[in-house]
Amino acid sequence: MKKRDDVLVGVVMAVALIVAIVGSLWLARGGLSKGYPLYAKFPWNSGLKQGQPVLLAGVNVGYVDEVDLRPDGTVLTTFRVGKDYKVPRGTVATVVANGIFGDMAIALTPKLGPNPVSIPPEDTVPVGPSAPGIAQITSKADSIATSVNAMTTALNQQLVAAGGVEDLRKALASSNALVLNMNRLVSQFSVIAAEQNRQLSMTQASLRRATSGIDSAKIDSTLSGIRATSANMAQLSADFRLTAMKLDSVVSKANSGTGSVGLMLNDPGAYNDVRALIQHMDSLMADVKKNPRKYINLSIF
Amino acid sequence: MFARIGERGYFMRDIGRGLKDPATYGSETIRQMRNIGVDSLPLAAIVAAFIGAVTAFQTRYQLFGGVQLSVVGLISRQSIILELGPLLTGLVLTGRVGARITAEIGTMRVTEQIDALETLAYDPIAYLVVPRLLAALIMVPMLTIMANAIGVGTAFLTAVLATDVTSAAFSEGLRLAFAPFQIVYSIIKATLFGGAIAFFCSYEGYQTTAGAEGVGRSTAQAVVITSVAILVLDALTALLLAPYLQG
Repeated sequence: MKKRDDVLVGVVMAVALIVAIVGSLWLARGGLSKGYPLYAKFPWNSGLKQGQPVLLAGVNVGYVDEVDLRPDGTVLTTFRVGKDYKVPRGTVATVVANGIFGDMAIALTPKLGPNPVSIPPEDTVPVGPSAPGIAQITSKADSIATSVNAMTTALNQQLVAAGGVEDLRKALASSNALVLNMNRLVSQFSVIAAEQNRQLSMTQASLRRATSGIDSAKIDSTLSGIRATSANMAQLSADFRLTAMKLDSVVSKANSGTGSVGLMLNDPGAYNDVRALIQHMDSLMADVKKNPRKYINLSIF
Repeated sequence: MFARIGERGYFMRDIGRGLKDPATYGSETIRQMRNIGVDSLPLAAIVAAFIGAVTAFQTRYQLFGGVQLSVVGLISRQSIILELGPLLTGLVLTGRVGARITAEIGTMRVTEQIDALETLAYDPIAYLVVPRLLAALIMVPMLTIMANAIGVGTAFLTAVLATDVTSAAFSEGLRLAFAPFQIVYSIIKATLFGGAIAFFCSYEGYQTTAGAEGVGRSTAQAVVITSVAILVLDALTALLLAPYLQG
């Protein structure tokens, strides 16, 4: 029994001690392996502490091992990078904010992209410009707050002191009246639209009735007749055109003075002869009327 | 008041004398380590597991939008290792171990077994109190380490399985601004709590009078005094050592 107690107590103590040691190492270093050291010199107010993460292109690859304050205004920071990770040459180290509680991290940024040549262990990584710290952000936030305060004061003066709010209320009241009128108008429009709609429906119904009353056979025969008439009209038109052309040539000949008619129409001598003839005919006719027996001598037996 | 403090001072002196007699307490110490440490492990583990789970869960849902989720790991670690692990282990052991110590010693007192030991030229304090004190001083820190590990483990599992915290985010927070002294601080607290449990409970048992009723009264009084003592020691430790905790 005593032997069993010894074993049990020993096992519990051993396990507890192993848990404490391994747990501490894991929490402090991220594993039993320490990784290889690299150095960087940051300004005094960089806010770095032991145990803070080291990020290579955003991936956690190590931790801050030691922070040594130097009298020349710099902090010599020893950080350890896991053996599985290589820091490409051309990488710069910056201190960046890690979250909103003022915690910091070292960000390793490969400026030249991937590079097969890496920074060897115990070398110093060049330092880039640091991200703004909480104090700077707070200062910027203060200035923004001051601007917002000035704007609020101006708005207060314009809207409250100068009666802007009262004007706004009046404008809103007017807008309300306008909206009421608009509503009334809209309702009137609705009534008109309903009436129009009713009329349109009725018209459609009438049209539908009229359409259904039309005999399509008659329409077809009428259309055929119209089509035939149209063809006859076209023929007639062609005949008219031909006749007109002939008449035109006759008139042209008459105008040009060629042919009998042309000569008759255009010769003044012929005209005069005809007039003289007509005059003779008139005097003859008058003489005939006057002395018929002179010209007509009827004897039956 | 001062008389009571003085009586406890004499008791402490007697313990110091008893420590010079390892032949008397040596073999008994291992048995008490088994009783106090090994047998209490399941209870401490269960308490730590639930505390870790609740801490992670509560922490996640207290975070407002925009806070990175790794904070869950950070707060869980700090809460469990610095405070909840040692404190709750101490309070739980007060109920389980302290009450038992008072009842055992008190019963021996009222049944005059302690008088019999004195008659046999045994130092009753070296035989009864010193082994319990040593066992508590050694095993309560061990239990606290185990409780811390179990608490952090269940906090991790709860955060990853029951909330939207990723294992990478939790691990990052867990390792953020860690200082090895935080583990030492937890062990210092646990050692003080273990000493308080063994000392106050042994004293109350040793001073038991008036039969079985007296044993019950002493046990209840021991639990109350030890619980208050643990809380006072917790506050004092934080007051004295918290400035060294920053990672």
